[in-house]
Amino acid sequence: MALPKVFAHNQLRRSPIYRETQKAGAFPEVVNGGAVPMHYGSVESDTLVGARMGIADLSVLPHTGFKGAGTIEWLQGQGLSIGPDSNMAFRQEGGELAARLAPSEIFLIDSLAATGALIQKLNGAWGWGTEKPRKLIGYPMPRQDSHAWFMVTGSAAPEMFAKICGVDLRPHKFKLGQIAQTSLAKMSGIVIRGDLGQVPAYHLLADIASAEYLWGAVLDAMGEFNGRPVGLAALRQLAEG
Amino acid sequence: MTAEMNWGGTNRLPNRGALIDRSRPVTFSFEGSLVEGFEGDTIASALCANGQWMISRSFKYHRPRGVLTMIGQDANTLVQIGDEPNCLADKRRIAPGLVVEGQNYFGSFDSDAGRFVEWVSKFLPVGFYYKTFHEKRSSWRFWEPIVRAMAGLGKIDPHAHHGYFDKQYLFADVAVIGGGPAGLAAAAEAAKAGGEVLLIDENPKLGGCLNYARFDESGEAACKADGELLNAVKAAGNIRVMSDAVVTGLFADNWIPVVRGNRFYKLRAKAIVVATGSIEQPAVFRNNDLPGIMLGSAAQRLIHLYGVRPGKRAVILTANDDGYAQAIDLLKIGSAVATVVDLRADPPQTALSKAVARAGITVHAGSAIAEAYHHGNKEHVVGVAVAPVAGEGQLSDPTASYECDLVLMSVGYSPAAHLLLQAGAKFAYSTASHMFEPREIPAGLYAAGSVAGQFNLDQVAAGGRRAGWAAARHAGGTVGAEPAEVSDPGAAQQTHPWPIFPHAKGGEFVDFDEDLKYDDLINGIADGFDNVELLKRYSTVGMGPSQGKHSAVAAVRIVARETGRDLAALTVTTQRPPYTPEKFGHLAGRIFDPERRTAMHHRHLELGAQMMPAGIWWRPAYYGPKAEREKAIREEVNAVRNDVALIDVSTLGGLDVRGPDAAEFLNRMYTFTYAKLAVGKSRYVLMTDQAGVITDDGVACRFSEEHFYVTATTSGVDAVYRSMLQWNAQWRLDVDVANVTAAYAGVNIAGPKSRQVLQRLCQDIDLSAEAFPYLGVREGTVAGIPARLLRVGFVGELGYEIHVPYGYGEALWDAVVEAGQPEGIRPFGVEAQRVLRLEKGHIIVSQDTDGLTNAWEADMPWALAKTKPFFVGGRSTQIMAKMPLLRKLVGFTLDDPALPCPEECHLVIKGGEIVGRVTSAVNSPSLGKVVGMAYVHPADAAPDSKIQIKIDGGRMIEGRVVKLPFYDPEGKRQEM
Repeated sequence: MALPKVFAHNQLRRSPIYRETQKAGAFPEVVNGGAVPMHYGSVESDTLVGARMGIADLSVLPHTGFKGAGTIEWLQGQGLSIGPDSNMAFRQEGGELAARLAPSEIFLIDSLAATGALIQKLNGAWGWGTEKPRKLIGYPMPRQDSHAWFMVTGSAAPEMFAKICGVDLRPHKFKLGQIAQTSLAKMSGIVIRGDLGQVPAYHLLADIASAEYLWGAVLDAMGEFNGRPVGLAALRQLAEG
Repeated sequence: MTAEMNWGGTNRLPNRGALIDRSRPVTFSFEGSLVEGFEGDTIASALCANGQWMISRSFKYHRPRGVLTMIGQDANTLVQIGDEPNCLADKRRIAPGLVVEGQNYFGSFDSDAGRFVEWVSKFLPVGFYYKTFHEKRSSWRFWEPIVRAMAGLGKIDPHAHHGYFDKQYLFADVAVIGGGPAGLAAAAEAAKAGGEVLLIDENPKLGGCLNYARFDESGEAACKADGELLNAVKAAGNIRVMSDAVVTGLFADNWIPVVRGNRFYKLRAKAIVVATGSIEQPAVFRNNDLPGIMLGSAAQRLIHLYGVRPGKRAVILTANDDGYAQAIDLLKIGSAVATVVDLRADPPQTALSKAVARAGITVHAGSAIAEAYHHGNKEHVVGVAVAPVAGEGQLSDPTASYECDLVLMSVGYSPAAHLLLQAGAKFAYSTASHMFEPREIPAGLYAAGSVAGQFNLDQVAAGGRRAGWAAARHAGGTVGAEPAEVSDPGAAQQTHPWPIFPHAKGGEFVDFDEDLKYDDLINGIADGFDNVELLKRYSTVGMGPSQGKHSAVAAVRIVARETGRDLAALTVTTQRPPYTPEKFGHLAGRIFDPERRTAMHHRHLELGAQMMPAGIWWRPAYYGPKAEREKAIREEVNAVRNDVALIDVSTLGGLDVRGPDAAEFLNRMYTFTYAKLAVGKSRYVLMTDQAGVITDDGVACRFSEEHFYVTATTSGVDAVYRSMLQWNAQWRLDVDVANVTAAYAGVNIAGPKSRQVLQRLCQDIDLSAEAFPYLGVREGTVAGIPARLLRVGFVGELGYEIHVPYGYGEALWDAVVEAGQPEGIRPFGVEAQRVLRLEKGHIIVSQDTDGLTNAWEADMPWALAKTKPFFVGGRSTQIMAKMPLLRKLVGFTLDDPALPCPEECHLVIKGGEIVGRVTSAVNSPSLGKVVGMAYVHPADAAPDSKIQIKIDGGRMIEGRVVKLPFYDPEGKRQEM
């Protein structure tokens, strides 16, 4: 029987729920200085589960944010494609999603490839500058550490969400890229629809300090659909169709 | 109990029972005896099939009660299942091994000692409580044990297992409540507009009355309608059907709760069709509650849904065509019909009544049942006396009597209008149909079927289609031509105006739930409670589990007649949710209870911490077993004072305030000045509201010209953040505020050896006192982790707060603990921190302040800027400076070492008056004496003043005011 070779507690950056994924039998790999569960014994099995009802912990994958006056213009100047509508996420060339939470606020999540290239580039480009008066370019937000990042996948996901969330997330009512900033299991959270191929899928971003609570609440709600945690590898497979 | 029970029951009929699966036998127990039924049976249908007709005992008189409705609309079938009381036996389906018991009896179910209560019923008049306890206080002592013993239904197990209940949202454009013919037609019509339609039905099988009622002699009409309507629903691709689901209320903006199993659904539909049908009403006559006497529809349900013979020889009391249909039903299963008793003097000749005549059944027109008989034990009806109707509610002497084991009552209906009434619909009594009928219905709601006065099957379907069309249009759907209006003149033949026949010997039950007889209501009205709402509360009519579904109309009729009022001007009592009983578990649901954990949470648990809540955060109170709390706190304090220790401060509020106007913004938000605060330095912040009341504190750390990292209290940060956003919405300063509390984990490493520990982990910051002095702030790395470092002194020792991104928090903790091993580093918790800060005389906002405390009372004028033009609360603070102080916060100690340490909120007394209270007090491990803070009279605020503190038991002890801080008054230790 294969055993995990990477352990979250040996990494400097740790997912807020690494103990939970470890208990569930995660096989992690190091990404972005932390351990990401790649699968739970079998990528094939995870993929089958993920098509029906799965949840993945992506909390250590690169994600960040910018907000404040000048944010959108500055990010567009950096090459990002951002549409005019708030509560919509805009896919970038590398697969990243720029989620426009407000007219001047972006939550940026990496692609499943998790190279972090765009985020590194932006972090490197942002600075206080020396101009007087300083040109307004918004401010970076520590979204990597303020928000846990889960991905909920599968055909049963909308019905599962109806048990913890009052927003109608069914695919014919909640379009691709749409954002709901709402209450989930009685806590605030952000839901972004980001299908994987033909499989309905939702990014779920929520208070990192309540991540263990939310993970448990979602798993509990998934129970009747035989849902379970799945790894990043399965998400990549589903995305490839 | 019946001694012998064959499989499926001796009363089981062949080839009938739409809801049971005869291939799946099920065994359960009732009152300790095994009962056999089939999957799909309810407890009641299985018991009836096995000859067990008595299912419960009534509430007050413990009279035997049996099936009344077979649809869960009455309290006659309440049973106990394990730790769950008051289960509806005619709704709850059987399951293998189910253990069912009767309830509300003393001794045994069959021989209930409580039945003798009825013998003394004349001593229990209506309004018993009002009359008995109004004046005589002593009467309560006599009655209390009796009332307590008799009260309540079923048994609650306080140790019962917490069941799993949850909630779910539903979404629909049109919701149709009721799966009978009207509901089916409405759903199919609404679906044509293309929207999402949700059809909710409380029964396991769609069709409603089409599954059991007879509309013609052959029974083909129901089958045909059922087939057509069901096919239309199935053919539509946009109808979702929820069976076994009960809508328990209808609230504003079309919000409806739906209960199915252990799940509570929440739906807000754009439009709603209410097709909830009508509730068949019982007749009121002597002994009308005996088992074996049931509504005609109940017998039809037993026959057609469960394949159970309701009786072998029946008497049918009717006032409409349905009674004749029931006679045909009984004949078709081989039961005898002794007679049909028709309240109408001249019943119309219909196809059904002619069929009954052809069968040779005697019909007593213009007659009623005067009395039902039993064999003395009241366990089953054995016969009836029939008498001609002499006038409204009056009978001549009986002219005939019949032996029978079944009496059916089919004398009329009342609309199941509860949901519509809850939503604000207006109903009025119609003297044509003798029923309440809808007059006004709020926009977005539509009624169809018998709830709207439509009874003819074709009219019901037409009414459903019209309601479905209107609902779809209201929901924004594209609809076709408007269907024609529907009226059903036949509705006037459904309900008798006065099926109430008092008897000289009494025993005519108007309300089965509460054992209320006809005379009880008459006496209640005579006592002066001549309004329906008042009579309800005085007599409890309609206040039982079925909430007046079978008694409210009779009560209104009786009130109208006794008071001489026009029935058409009266209404039934207010209808409130829930429509059917719902459990606390449904309301509670999954019980989501979010909590926040720091990145080091599990490390605290591993170290044996006793955790305590701080808002929704969890924080370590102290480390060690509860039995050694004091020792643990003392040792943690000593570790900070003498060596080095670390505490998790992640819950501390954190706000990034950035922008060209950041300093000006803080100047306005806080009492101090920040414009000239140097980069790399921090300063205390004190926040007041517009009334000058202290609301929060913390420190502002300047990391660049335009960037302040401001800390706030754990419980206060969200309010501080909101306040900042609110104010800047007015000020429009060029500043961005971000609540980064959760994004940063933090530890405070404190104690005289903290620097040497930290030096092992931090190479890119010069930690020397000269390079990084007290109140300095730096950015660098600790153990390779990017960090913000703050030299703060809350606990009064050399110390460093290290704030790192949350994801690195646990790694930081591990690194500091490992680095501190040579110095014996140990963790300390919130309790030790409270002691340490008190020794230093630092306040905790909301513990040492309250909703009135201003800076002068808290003795904090040092925190007020003298020169700046404005801060929130500044004007009020200036005004209060000119007003006499009413109290002042001071430090105190107890000179007598034998005195106990006061507790928080112990009162400070001066001249017999309360002048203040203790806010904090501890036995200081560092100082070896009691130290504390308290609000005292301003005249006693000077050092060495004596104060009187009233402690537990009213004992007064003397304290002495001392200058703060208690520990290290020169502050040298924190500035090392």
